[in-house]
Amino acid sequence: MTTTQTNTLTDRYVHATTRWMSEEKRDDISRELTATIDDMIAGRVEAGEDPAEAERDVLTELGDPSALAAQYGNQPLHLIGPRYFLLWRRLTLLGLIWIPATVGVIVALAQLASTDDPASVIGHGIGTAFEVAVQVVFWTTLAFAILERVDVDAKIPGWSIDRLPEVPRRQQIGLADMIAGVFFTGLVIAVLVLQHFRSWVEGPSGDDVPVLDPDLWSFWLPLLIGVLVVSMVFEVVKFRIGRFTWPVVAGTILISLAWAVPFIYLAANDMLLSPEFVQALDITPTVLDRINLGTVLVTIAVEVGTVIDAVVKNRKATRAPGA
Amino acid sequence: MTKDDVLPGHLQELRRGTAVMASLAALREPGYGYALLQTLGDAGIAVDANTLYPLLRRLEEQKLLTAEWDTTASRPRKIYRTGPEGERVLAAMLADLDALRASVNRLTEGNAS
Repeated sequence: MTTTQTNTLTDRYVHATTRWMSEEKRDDISRELTATIDDMIAGRVEAGEDPAEAERDVLTELGDPSALAAQYGNQPLHLIGPRYFLLWRRLTLLGLIWIPATVGVIVALAQLASTDDPASVIGHGIGTAFEVAVQVVFWTTLAFAILERVDVDAKIPGWSIDRLPEVPRRQQIGLADMIAGVFFTGLVIAVLVLQHFRSWVEGPSGDDVPVLDPDLWSFWLPLLIGVLVVSMVFEVVKFRIGRFTWPVVAGTILISLAWAVPFIYLAANDMLLSPEFVQALDITPTVLDRINLGTVLVTIAVEVGTVIDAVVKNRKATRAPGA
Repeated sequence: MTKDDVLPGHLQELRRGTAVMASLAALREPGYGYALLQTLGDAGIAVDANTLYPLLRRLEEQKLLTAEWDTTASRPRKIYRTGPEGERVLAAMLADLDALRASVNRLTEGNAS
């Protein structure tokens, strides 16, 4: 790297600005830019500045060579500009809503054929869905970034008055409610799956022991997770309806029962916690009974609360005039 | 307080486009990049160097300016000159500016009375 000795700062600046340009452009712009920089330096030196310092100041004034090159090439300094941004956002969101979930379910079903370990099926489905989501965002963004940089009229249909959405009736169930509901339900699913692998409670062999009885995977846990998935979908449906109508209340009650009845049944018959877990923590039979009883009571309280909340909101919705 | 924050942005918005007009007007008298930068600066139209040079090139590509290399001077310089097409665009822009000014005048006078 001894060549830097012979290159002036100006040479390096001009090179940095023009190196990605086409050849004919590069020669012309290089010559002109060099002459112009020399002129600017000469102007400063005439005003009494030190030549070396003048060169630095002039190049600093011209700024980042990449930005200058973009100006010369008429290239945008953004990935996706205002012309395409709204369309990009719409397509990406649309893709994110449908594609990952669909592929995830298909992969999970395919997995079901080759293994009977439900944790692996669900893990595979969620993992694939996530990978697909990343791919969806990447490829749409790449396509639009290229579109932004090639000079074609993509003939994209503009906005029209027909696309105006209906004014929603007064929303009782907002977007925040839906997101919170879906997120919380997803969290419970994650906990149900993850407790099997990582409980931070070590068994005799030094490995983590599952909190819940692994035998439940053969039927009960898939059922409970299925109920949670249905309840996630129901959160979205509720949001689309926007109000606690009678069908929404009925759905809430059904899902509450579908969750509470199996869960209470398992707790009441001491089928919930895995024996290794109980052993590892030295839980005595009396304490175990209390834990199970507590689980039953808390579940009843939560579900009754949910149903009462839905009924009260339904009465508000039906009483409020014009809603 | 707020006024100081928003004013520069609005002024910048107002001045956008004047660089093209000023360049086309100044280059009826042929000139090179740095000289034009100074001419515009002296005339009170401050344009950043890194905006002006790419702009000249763009106007050349749009055939509003003609350019040729002058190799007689101590360092070769690209000399720009406003072409016939540039004159037409300049005239149209000046007319638009006049019309705008007149409209604004009517509005401000209307408010005063």
